[in-house]
Amino acid sequence: MDIEKYIVDIKAKFPEIKNTKVVNTKRLMIYISKTSLLKVAEYIFKDLGYRYIIVTAMDSKEGFEIIYHFSDDSSGWIINLNVLLPRDEPEIESLTPVVYGVEWIEREIMDLLGIKFLNHPKPERFLFSEDWPEGEFPLRRDYKEEKNNG
Amino acid sequence: MGKRTIVPLGPYHPLLEEPEFFKLYCDGEIVKEMVWETGYNHRGIEKICQSKTFEQVFYVVERICGICSTSHPFAYANAVESIPGVKIPLRAKYIRSILGELERIHSHLLWVGLAGHFLGYNTVFMWAWKYREPVLDMFEIITGNRNSYAMFTIGGVRRDVSPEQATQLLNVLENVKIKTDLLVGAVMDDPVLHSRLKGVGILTAEDIHDFGAVGPTARASGVDIDIRRDDPYAAYDLVDWKVITAQGGDVFAKAEVRLLEMYESIKIIKQCLEALKETEAGDIKAKVKDIPAGIGIGRAEAPRGEVFHFVKSDGGNSPVRHKIRAPSFTCIPTFRRSCVGGTISDAAIATAAVDPCYCCTERMAQVYDYTTGKKIMSAAELIKLSQDSMKKLKAKLKV
Repeated sequence: MDIEKYIVDIKAKFPEIKNTKVVNTKRLMIYISKTSLLKVAEYIFKDLGYRYIIVTAMDSKEGFEIIYHFSDDSSGWIINLNVLLPRDEPEIESLTPVVYGVEWIEREIMDLLGIKFLNHPKPERFLFSEDWPEGEFPLRRDYKEEKNNG
Repeated sequence: MGKRTIVPLGPYHPLLEEPEFFKLYCDGEIVKEMVWETGYNHRGIEKICQSKTFEQVFYVVERICGICSTSHPFAYANAVESIPGVKIPLRAKYIRSILGELERIHSHLLWVGLAGHFLGYNTVFMWAWKYREPVLDMFEIITGNRNSYAMFTIGGVRRDVSPEQATQLLNVLENVKIKTDLLVGAVMDDPVLHSRLKGVGILTAEDIHDFGAVGPTARASGVDIDIRRDDPYAAYDLVDWKVITAQGGDVFAKAEVRLLEMYESIKIIKQCLEALKETEAGDIKAKVKDIPAGIGIGRAEAPRGEVFHFVKSDGGNSPVRHKIRAPSFTCIPTFRRSCVGGTISDAAIATAAVDPCYCCTERMAQVYDYTTGKKIMSAAELIKLSQDSMKKLKAKLKV
């Protein structure tokens, strides 16, 4: 895959793409805002036919970072869509209507990081039992381990 | 719509080897809807990894799953080594590939056995598990353990394979090949298995794309993907082998893919053992000083499909975020397409056909009281409990 051309093409198609970055070998990060996520993801998943791998969410210094990983199996490249959410408003549109497979991982992220996925078909707990305390998210930086682990 | 009966399977059920909960909504014998509940095995491994050093994480991820205890360290090594761009020695590459393929053989044999067991064909179960033993013995000879091998380290492997071990391994492989012929014959030529498995639990290429399913599950539906070829790592681009695919997408096709893949694994191991002779003994580890800040994404083809590890480093001693995606996470949900519309008896084998691994899916053991948040038992107390009960049992049986 000619990555330089690919980056120019995708930037021309979606002018809202903020930035792109090649990390290591065959890994491309595309930084987008949450409003353009569905459009870009639909293009990558449906039009280009890339395979959905998984979604990583993390609590970083700047806010909540959500990375959608897609794989182009013909070239071995991994295309990552990187969305940054502000800490005081951890909400994003659910990707389930576009990529059917993300339903579970979005529920897992809801459990572990407390990020809300709007219009999710089944916004229920995934890993945790129903009696896990509300508002306790183990992968957040301010999570107090002692509090829940005794 | 007629009245629906719920058939609950699990969370603890004699048929299931791990705790999971299936709810089958049935109309007569036909499954109309299926719901899966999980979380019984959640161990918080991603969280644990953040408190370990880069080197220690190997031994944590190795314990995600007893069957894939090479694949997870493999993908993690690929991820971490990509951050500073480590070039690992050729010999380590070959040894890594040997381990990966040995794992594929023993995992596929395990699956063939279990599939036979689910179908009530217990002869296949006993054969497959019997022939799996020499492979595990081989692991013990090379690594010192039947599983959780502790072979991987940043920059290479921790133990070398001696020429004597290589000869032993070749003998075992010859034997495995004979037995695989036998198993392939028993499965592929059996008219009963043909009529039981063909057309059951069909997944189309479109279903595979929707769920992001990987590995033999995808390849059995004609989707030609394999990380070993598409994004080559270790020694897979240095040896000659081919990706096995099948059409049909039913349970039989998945069995076919797994059985034929064992031959390719044997082929890869033989070439790697041959190549080991040309590399210098003992040159198995590159020196790595520290891991700079950055992002590393590593993949490896486990017996069940692509294992994905995402590691973020801030230049410190341990990962700030470590995301793990096991193949079962995207393969298990395919039951929505493969089981719904079929009969209850087909649901069992269609679910088993993706070779589900629940501990991989949840990756997260300590016992807590959720209501009070108090720790009921620590790890040391659990071990003591186990030792005490063993003592009681011994006293009772007078041994």
